[in-house]
Amino acid sequence: MATPAAIDCETAVRRLWDFLDGELGAMSAAEVEAHLATCELCVPHFTFATGMLDAVAESRRLPGDLERLRDRVVASLQTHGFRAGRV
Amino acid sequence: MLALLHEGCSAGPHTAATGMRHGLRDRRSTPQQGELLCGFRIGVTCLPPLHRFAPLPLIFRQCTMTTHVHDAEMPPSRPDPSLDSGAERIAPPRVEAVGDAARDAAFEHEVLACLPDVTRYARALTRDDAAADDLVQDTFLLAYRGYHTFRTGEDVRRWLVTICRRAFLRDRMRSARVVTTDEGSDAELDTLAAVSGHAAAQRAGQDRLFERFDLGPAIEQAIASLPDAFRRAVVLVDVEGEGYEEAAAIEAVPVGTIRSRLFRGRRLLQDQLLEYARDAGYAAIRTPPATRAAAPTVISPRRAPRHATDAQMPAAGHTT
Repeated sequence: MATPAAIDCETAVRRLWDFLDGELGAMSAAEVEAHLATCELCVPHFTFATGMLDAVAESRRLPGDLERLRDRVVASLQTHGFRAGRV
Repeated sequence: MLALLHEGCSAGPHTAATGMRHGLRDRRSTPQQGELLCGFRIGVTCLPPLHRFAPLPLIFRQCTMTTHVHDAEMPPSRPDPSLDSGAERIAPPRVEAVGDAARDAAFEHEVLACLPDVTRYARALTRDDAAADDLVQDTFLLAYRGYHTFRTGEDVRRWLVTICRRAFLRDRMRSARVVTTDEGSDAELDTLAAVSGHAAAQRAGQDRLFERFDLGPAIEQAIASLPDAFRRAVVLVDVEGEGYEEAAAIEAVPVGTIRSRLFRGRRLLQDQLLEYARDAGYAAIRTPPATRAAAPTVISPRRAPRHATDAQMPAAGHTT
């Protein structure tokens, strides 16, 4: 792969979420990485965004009383011929 | 007859799910335990008139009689194409396919195991636990009926989420008849706006809140308050961990659209969380600049990069 081109801060932060999501093309991602390696101003923006997305991912709420809901679903399926399940 | 049924189906104010909640249940069941007794598409078609004038068993018979005709002859065009793509997955049960023990064991092992994921997604969609439970039940019943169309090796969770999303949207569309399409005009502008918001938070000393506080309840509340389309995008990508392409496939929209919705949703989410931080007095946690600059930070993508060619990147601001 060719050497990544230098990009300015605005270009880097425009790519922020695409970069963190792993959705950038290889060259575009390499340009962002190269920019972050030398830019103290942009790194905190990427760190902050990473923290927010991690917090959102960790907020996954495990639904309560899943056993009751599962029993309800299985009972529903069983009236349609479903033979497995624990109910 | 069929034309009338179809027209009634697309224009009727009742949805399959609500129709079933209101009347199309096994008489032996309680409202919480009721079973779906007719095909998904036809469920609502005959509800409004028959619900008023016909005894319940007659409703069941008529719905059952019309279901297969309707499903077989349903015209391909619908008001929202995204609601119909892959609709063959939600097919009426094949008699010979239902009740097979090995098939059912596989269904239990493979499909029912995804109950927590589907429930979480349903609750994010409905923002109401009771409605979510109804949606989960509908989803698994539809999945069971269409299990013979599921291809081995396919992502079962994604298949279920797609079914769940379609069931939810049909319910929504038929009850509201209006789909909110308020989307951003430029995904990258939302990214820039979020960065600006972060810069302001830095100045106010609120930029470390995600490192120091459990914001779970605040995040849940903020996600729940997002407009529907943005919330679905955030839940699919940021909560359920789908990529842009997968989320777009589930939502049946172009990748650029899911990206725009996602970025707008994230920006709104960030705004709300920073406002929450301000209200909670998080400004007191300012980190001294010297500490902040002490250790170099290596930033990497949160997910394995696709390393698509740059030409494959969705166009900024592309919405439908």
